[in-house]
Parts: sequence; C-alpha cells; structure tokens
Amino acid sequence: MANSGALDQWMTWAFSPTISAVLVAFLITLLSPVVLHYYLYRKSASKELPSFLLLGPLGAGKTSLLTLFANGTASSTHTSQEPQSAVCQLPLSIRSSEDQYRSENDTSARSQPKFLLLDTPGHGKLRRHAQSSLTTASALKGLIFVVDSAAVSSASGLTEAAEYLHEVLLLLQKRHTQGKTSKDPQAIPVLVAANKQDVFTSLPVGLVKSKLEGEIAKVRQTRSKGLLDSGIGMEDESGADEEGNWLGEYGAKEFRFTQMEEHGVEVTTVGGNVRGEGEEKGFVSDWWSWIGENI
Amino acid sequence: MLDGFEILTTSGIVLWRKQYAPVSSNVINSLINDVFIEDRGQKNTDGGSNPPYRKDKYTLRWTSAKDVGLIFVAVYQSLLHLSWVDNLLTAVRALFTKQYATELKKPHLTKLNTSDFDHTFDALVRKLDTGSTRRQSEPDSDAAAPTQLTPPSSSASVGEAAEDDDLPPPMPTAPQFKKPAIPQRQQQDDDTTSTDITPVPTPDTSRPTTPSQPPSHILTGKAGPGKASRRARKANASSAFNTSAPVSSRDEGPANRKGKGGKGSSVKQKRRWDADGFAADGEDDTVLDYSAPAGTNDTGTTEERDLDINNINADRMGSRTGKGQFILKDLDDEVDAILASSKPTTASSATPSTTSDSSAGLLGSASSRITGLFRNVVGGKTLSKQDLQQPLQQMQTHLLEKNVAREAAERLCTSVETDLLDQKTASFTSIDKTIRESMSKALTRILTPTSSLDLLRNITSTTEGAGRRPYVISIVGVNGVGKSTSLSKIAYFLLQNQFRVLVVAADTFRSGAVEQLGVHVSRLSELSRRENVGTIELYEKGYGKDAATLARDAVTHATNAGKGGGEMLFDVVLIDTAGRRHNDTRLMSSLTKFGQLANPDKIFMVGEALVGTDSVAQARNFAKEFVDTKGKLRNNGIGMDGFIISKCDTVGDMVGTLVSMVHATGIPVVFLGVGQHYGDLRGLNVGWAVDKLMR
Repeated sequence: MANSGALDQWMTWAFSPTISAVLVAFLITLLSPVVLHYYLYRKSASKELPSFLLLGPLGAGKTSLLTLFANGTASSTHTSQEPQSAVCQLPLSIRSSEDQYRSENDTSARSQPKFLLLDTPGHGKLRRHAQSSLTTASALKGLIFVVDSAAVSSASGLTEAAEYLHEVLLLLQKRHTQGKTSKDPQAIPVLVAANKQDVFTSLPVGLVKSKLEGEIAKVRQTRSKGLLDSGIGMEDESGADEEGNWLGEYGAKEFRFTQMEEHGVEVTTVGGNVRGEGEEKGFVSDWWSWIGENI
Repeated sequence: MLDGFEILTTSGIVLWRKQYAPVSSNVINSLINDVFIEDRGQKNTDGGSNPPYRKDKYTLRWTSAKDVGLIFVAVYQSLLHLSWVDNLLTAVRALFTKQYATELKKPHLTKLNTSDFDHTFDALVRKLDTGSTRRQSEPDSDAAAPTQLTPPSSSASVGEAAEDDDLPPPMPTAPQFKKPAIPQRQQQDDDTTSTDITPVPTPDTSRPTTPSQPPSHILTGKAGPGKASRRARKANASSAFNTSAPVSSRDEGPANRKGKGGKGSSVKQKRRWDADGFAADGEDDTVLDYSAPAGTNDTGTTEERDLDINNINADRMGSRTGKGQFILKDLDDEVDAILASSKPTTASSATPSTTSDSSAGLLGSASSRITGLFRNVVGGKTLSKQDLQQPLQQMQTHLLEKNVAREAAERLCTSVETDLLDQKTASFTSIDKTIRESMSKALTRILTPTSSLDLLRNITSTTEGAGRRPYVISIVGVNGVGKSTSLSKIAYFLLQNQFRVLVVAADTFRSGAVEQLGVHVSRLSELSRRENVGTIELYEKGYGKDAATLARDAVTHATNAGKGGGEMLFDVVLIDTAGRRHNDTRLMSSLTKFGQLANPDKIFMVGEALVGTDSVAQARNFAKEFVDTKGKLRNNGIGMDGFIISKCDTVGDMVGTLVSMVHATGIPVVFLGVGQHYGDLRGLNVGWAVDKLMR
C-alpha cells in the first residue's frame, strides 16, 4: 500500500505541468542522444590501422627491417622467437595512394599515413605465427616476403625460400578460390623484397626472381607427386584436390609470378638493403614506395 | 673476462649490448636456436641458474625474464672459469627490469634508450668480478660474515697431512699452504671443493722442474681455439686470476715461497681429461676431490672427519645373518628411511597452509571460492602455481592415456607450466582452455620439423647434374616393427615416380628375410611392368655375410662407376637391415660400422605406434650409434634423419608415440604407415596429429 502510494505521488508529479517536471523532461530528451552517441562511438573510435605482414626464411633480415622502418635506424638483431609489431609512418618523401590526386607541388600540410608492421619468426618450427596472422589479420593490406639475395645463390637457401614462398602463395590462392561468399575477399599484394643487395655475393634482383620462379615450379611438381598427407580424412574438400593444390596455372610447366594474378595476388620483386656497407645507410626507398602505393 | 653481454627481446631485437671483444652474432643465434627453439639443452624451470651452453670456443650463460620477454646472455671464452657470471645475470635482470619497467610494458617496443644502463653495468661488473675463482653459493654471500679462516701458518700444521690428497706423497714434511691465489678476498668455508678453486698443494720435491707458470719475461701466445697447449691455457687461466705480486713458479726458488708464506703463489691445478682427449681446464663445478677440505674450522673436526672415513657404517648397507654372512639390506628399508627424513619437512610445509585456511573462516573462504570461479569463467585471472597444479595433472594423465611416454609428458607439462606461470588468462577463457591452447602450441612446435623433407627433390638433385650418384636410404629399427614392409611401401612410392630402385637385402641374419624381400620385389616389378613406371631389382648375397660390406658393395654396383664410363644403373638404393634390440650393445655397435661404410644419404628408423615407454630408449640408443669417422653424430649432431611410425591404423587416437620419439631425440617424423598395402604410406600432417592428441 505504501509503495503504490509513493508511486502514485511520483506519477502525479511527473505528469503535472510544473516547471520542474518540464525542465527534467527537456533535459532528458536533449541529453540522452548525446550520451548514447558518446557511448556508441567511443568503442569504434579507434580506426584500425592498415597492417603489413613480414615473412621470410631464417636470417633474411625481417626484424632489422622492422626496426629500420619503425625507428629510422636498424638495430642489431638475433633470431626471433616471437612475432613483433610496430607502428610505422611513411616518410615525407614517399607519396601514398591517398595522395594520388594531389599535385606534386602542393605544399599544404598533410600527415603521412601510419601503418602497423607485423614481424614473424622465420625459423622452420615457428612458421605457424605467420600462418595464423595471414588468416586472421583483418586489415591486412600487403605481404612483404623478405629474401636474402646472397643465400638464394646456394641450393639449400634457394630451396628453403622457394618452399616457404610456395606455401604462402598457395595459401593466398586458396583463400581466393575457396571464398564462401560471392564477393571476392580483398586481394593482398605480395612484395618479394630481395634484401642484402650490398653483400658481395648477392644476386641481382632479376636473377633472384627467375631463380625463385624456377624453384617454385619444381616444388609444386614434387608436391603434386608426393605422398598424401595423414590428415586426408579430416577435410574432404581441400585434401585430394589436385587442381586446388597447384599454384598458378594448372598444368603449366613453368611458373611465373604473373600466373598468380588471376587469383588476385600481385607479386612484385624489388631489391634493396637494410644495412649499408660500413657506415652507409641502407637503401629501402623502393620498398617504401611499394608500401605507399598499397596502403 | 667477459667477451660480451647482451640483452635482447624474445623477438630478437637487441636492446642493450656491451662487447669487450668482437663476438660474431651466430654464437647467440645458435644459443637461441638450440636451447629455446629446438629445446636441445635443458632449461631450469625454477628460474635458477641455467646450465651453460657451449659453442666453438665460447661458453654462454643466460637467464630470462619471461614477463617482459627479455633474455640476458653473457658470453665468455670457454677457457676461463668465471663463477660470478650467474650472480651478474641475476643482478642485471633485476636492475634492468626495475629501471625500465614502464617502457618495457608499452606495446610495440622496438627501441629503448639504454645509455644510462652502461654505468650500472660497469659498476656491477666491478663489484662482482672479484677475479677470484671463489665458488658461488648464495647470491648474498658478499654480505655474509666471513667465516673462520685459518691463517697460513696454522695450515701448515697437523691437519695438512691428512688433507694431502691424490698426489703420491713421499715427503709431506715441507710446509704446504692452502691459500688460494687472492688472499685479500674473503673465502667461503666450503665443505666441498672444486678442483679449480682450491689449489692443490704439491710437495715440491716430487715435481719435475717444469714451471707451472712461465716467468713473466717469457711471452706466451694467446690461447687459440680448441687445442691450445696446456701450458698456454694454464697461463691464461692463472693470469686472469693472479692479481697480486707476480710469482715465479713454485719449483724455482723455494726460499721465495717460504718467505712469502703463501702470498699469491701459482698453483698446480689438477689435470682432468675431457671427452676429446685434451686436458680440460675445468668448467664445471663437479667435485672430484672428496678428501677433507682446506681451511677448516679447527683441527679437531678434521680429525673427526678422518675417522668418519673409516667409519662407513657396515650396518647401513646390510646386516649379518646368524651364520656371519653379509646380506645387503633391502631397498625398501632405504626408501623408508628417505621418506621418514623428508616427512618432517613436508609436514612443516603443509601446516602453514592449513592454518591460513582455517583462519580465513567460512564466509571468507566461500566468497573467495565464488570469486575464483567467477574469474575462472570470465578470464583475466593471474595464474599461480597452485591454480595450475590440478589442471596440469589432469592434462598429464590425458597425455599418458594417449600413449605418450611418461618422461615426455612430464617435460611437456613442466614447460607449459613455466610458460603460463604468472600470466593472465585471456578474457572468457578458463584455466583449462588456456592450458589446452598452450599445450597444443607446444605439441605443434615439437612435431613441426625445422625443414620439411622433400624426398623427391633430394633424390632428383642427387641423381642429376654434376657428380651424380645413387641416393642411398637405409632403414633401421628393433625387431618386428615393419622395416621390410615400410621399405617396400617406399619402393612403391618411388617406382610410381619413375625411379629405378635397387633393394639390398642386408638382413643376413633372420631366416627368410631375403626371401621376404624377394617376394616384395617380384610383386613390385610386376606392378611396375603393368603400369610402365620405374624398375626395381633385388641385390642379395645370401645369409651370414657382413651387412656393412654387403651394403657398400651394393652401392658400388648401383653406381657402376668402373668399366669405362658406366652409366648409373639405379637411382635409389634402399637398404634393409636386421632388427636388433636397442640394448644389445654388440649389435648396436655394428650399426656404426654400417653407417660409415655404406654412407647413406638418409637413415630412417622405424618405430611402431604400439610401443609404449620403450620408444624413448629405442630412439635414443639408435640415434647415438650413427657417428661418422671423426666421432661426430651425422646430420648436424642429431644422428638419424627421420622416423617412420608404422602400424598407425592399429592405435586409433593414441598416437602419442610420435611425440615421445621426437621429444627424446629431436628427429622429425617423416612417414606414417597406415596399413598393410603398398599404398598405405602417408606424410605427417602436424595439425591432424595434434588434434588427435588433444581430443
């Protein structure tokens, strides 16, 4: 009884034409959308940075590249065990894709875009970090596959780099061909960065490209003839699918990076070096421009 | 002293480095590779001192701070024995994490301004680097009150005669002093001595006149890698420690010695031989000298200790029967004694916990349990040892049920525990789920090979191009695991890929082995003839012959190098060997000869999936037999090239043998046998295996 009495009283006051009731109603109608707006948009206020993934065989120079891009100078590094990420900003001299309609003489202030660079370990046992980042990273704008140009001249280094690159490209191809929706997933371009061009025994960029292509052709051939996996019964679709497991053009004898374009994967090969000889600075501007185009 | 000290993150970026001498970076890279990634060394789980890692001529000592993801490494030459490095590592770890705590917590850390750490480090080194070879016991030993030291004069008294140890003591009359090289520093009263620390007195007359330390006017060359002469290494070692007045050798000038009364003499260190046959200037602290120690408290105790030696209780080892026969005591009694002595300690450790529980009261315990449950569901809980204990026990039992060997399961669980200790669980994951995730990551890492084997690529690159020769594969294993069957499956696979295969029956012991292979070869040749793929033949010489020479002859036959430019007759040579028990040393040693004569490109060991804990011992014993002529294990010090796990279709989900064998040796699993037909050979899919194990 007492409860209903208090409620009654309150309701009477709320519907009465007193100044205080009107004022309260006025404040509520004005403030509640504002509060709602702040609550909703606070969550999504942080726009996700575009990210680039660094991959490559052991000792290619991925972690040094990360430190160079993030800090401006390359620190000394050792074998990585864990992935590492860093926020980098395009240097002022590089034009990004956002600026494609600006004139070059435009001197108005513009802030260079920032991006997130993800470094992964290159050791054979730790490759799963890279694979999980590939499949789960949402705003992935591009892949940078770093290769040691000097190691590629030896057979074992070439095989290691080619096998890893084959695996990565196959993953991208499958992602493209086996998309569940009719809309294609966003294409991820790949940059094959031929690092350590300053070393005496390094191969020129064109030779690195053709060697990698030749080796990938051999790898895909032996993979197709090789033994079946023990996990065959697990997923029926991707297991015994011969065509699905063949990189590039099915049945072609040679492999070229241009064959990947039909799957939406654009591969470019660019050279550079993270560290210069002695006190020289490294030469990485071509890589910056590629990032700028694809950001 | 130290050659270098580095602080690096787990993602490989060097945050701070100090180099006294140039150290190439591949030394630390191989430390990371072998110890952290491939788990070849042993890691101490309690965060205490880790065993040193050796590479080339360097020794590396390291410690890690897991919460901030840092590794601290100290590098020094193996010839030196620096006992203070562990203290240095602990101190640096504590100071560095404290000084840069805020910066280390930031995400995306790639650079740290560590210039002011240089002073701290230098001060630390100056403080800890006493230059003595003092044995480190507790980290605060510096602060401990100096224990009773016997002044040199008294050491020349009674007790010495008894402490004179291994040397043939013809004349112990000469005063012998036990002073170590640096008299000013305080010295621990050690009960145990290390051969490097306590200088061994030598009666001067018994030694020839070779100086143990060359006089200072003779230049000594710097110790080269490895085989430096013993004299040069001693010079290096003692020169690092002798900071007091330059001394002449003990054999020269006995008057000197008596006069100085033991101030900073050079000492003759005990010679110890290491595995390579070189006199090792010892690194480890193992005690070899069990005689009574130097500088004890008073002479009375030394005498007692002498008596102790005589008093080894006969009745502790057994008892005499009525007839006077000595019967050894049963093992049970000993175990009981040990348990009885440890019980008080466990009782005392148990009581504090119970008292704390009871004091919390009913309401307090209920609410803490509810919040614990809540935290378990929601996540964000910091994991303590107690939280992890019960779920880890369940996880270990689960692994044991999947036929993983006990040793491997225990090590896996301890590594998961070390990883997860003091970490926070992610949101909405319970402890169980966190442990499962961590365990599947650890299993994936173990089972993933460093470089996957592409057999067809390897064969084509060996059989084509310059210097072509046949590719030799040999199969070993214990009795009855399926070597001949696996070999014929591999032969079928190679035949389908158009190779010419030679099967060698090097099992000359078991009756019917040659005929068995003959049947396989005839079937396979019929199959290959019908499908018009490669060719296969059998090479056999009957029973009773030596397997190693037979294999070598077979390889020469396949190569067909003689007779004026003969073409290679076969692309692949598959050698079958006799099954042997891994604890039969005679048969196992014949494998070494086989490995050296036949010189195979790949050696695969077959293990059956049904075997239990024996798999670990089998794998280890087989792996260590394959050394090359220089005594180094082939294939980069691992031994074999791969495992073939046969009979996988019989075990269903319980594929734990995969994990045990890989864990014991670090050799990857290459093939799986899944049936009794020729086509039942598969490669290993790591995701499939981990999924089966965690199901």
